[in-house]
Amino acid sequence: MAKHHGDGHHDGHNAFDVSSKVSEFEILELAVRELAIEKGIFSAEDHRRFAEWAEGVGPHGGSKLVAKAWSDPAFKQRLLENGTEACKEVGIDWLQPTGVGTPSDYTFFYVLENTPQVHNVIVCTLCSCYPRPVLGMSPDWYRTPSYRRRMVRRPREVLAEFGLHLPADVEVRVHDSNQKSRFMVMPMRPEGTEGWSEEQLARIVTRDTMIGVALPRADRTSDAGSLAEQAR
Amino acid sequence: MSKVRYESVMTADRNLAPAEHEEFDSPYTIPNDRYAALTTILHDVGGEPDYPQALYGKGEEDWEMNTYLTCECLAWRGAWNAEMRRRAENDLGKTQYYGFPYYGRWITGAARVLVHKGLITTDELGDKIDEIRARLEKK
Repeated sequence: MAKHHGDGHHDGHNAFDVSSKVSEFEILELAVRELAIEKGIFSAEDHRRFAEWAEGVGPHGGSKLVAKAWSDPAFKQRLLENGTEACKEVGIDWLQPTGVGTPSDYTFFYVLENTPQVHNVIVCTLCSCYPRPVLGMSPDWYRTPSYRRRMVRRPREVLAEFGLHLPADVEVRVHDSNQKSRFMVMPMRPEGTEGWSEEQLARIVTRDTMIGVALPRADRTSDAGSLAEQAR
Repeated sequence: MSKVRYESVMTADRNLAPAEHEEFDSPYTIPNDRYAALTTILHDVGGEPDYPQALYGKGEEDWEMNTYLTCECLAWRGAWNAEMRRRAENDLGKTQYYGFPYYGRWITGAARVLVHKGLITTDELGDKIDEIRARLEKK
């Protein structure tokens, strides 16, 4: 049986129907992988190398970018002008792990700056495009038809469901990702963080704040308390 | 999505709803509005009507992560590319596209593309599936 990573329900009630039987998809994946390796389409070493890369990427990459941009106005300018190039300064190379990028992500990367007048949020209405090299794998809810359908039509309502209520005079801009353009939100630095180091700042720049469904706060270091996560 | 497109999607959805309760068994003919409903581009969902749903923060299961890795390795070594993967998912049809979990779409699309391109045969795939099922169920 496949095991759940990061599975944390509170009362022993599992919201997902996980059978103890072997999943047909698990069998199909193994079949495709083993045939591909036997036929020399790719090697077991390729799979291992890609896994190593995938395990290494996560929201901590984006957190570093934002924390550095908050601390260094010149870097912020470079990040907004050329996202992929500026990523190299914090050790994120969009050409990894193959030398020409991942097949699904090598593309244009744009960082969207939140201002007192404009709040940005990302979605992919056509599939699930997401900036993996800087944020890791997308959360499950990001890929649901419901999020894809509604974020572009009723963004304020969807944000409110995440607990984010924006004043009416703040413009909400929804950015629809696609196979050639990936986006990440640069939230505004919150009050109460004066004098903080980049490491301290990075801790409050969580995944949800870079998708745009939450705002960073000096006392918020995890998305675990969000309404979406509590629904598990 | 333009207003006209939104209205046409709403109409298409309304027209599809009753049809699903009738026999879908190769009818001699269908009304044009049902044709429109059945040929709506299934993955272009932005702006379609929907209601708030519980949003889960489920982590990747092993088979899901392995599916991602296998699909990326297939593309890395030239068996397909990311656009072909998305196309293969969209070509599954509405029943499987919405009936499968997210990565179920990926791996089913991968198997179909490998067969279509002649890189594996359906016999090889069937034999391999039997072999793996027997191996896993013995555990």
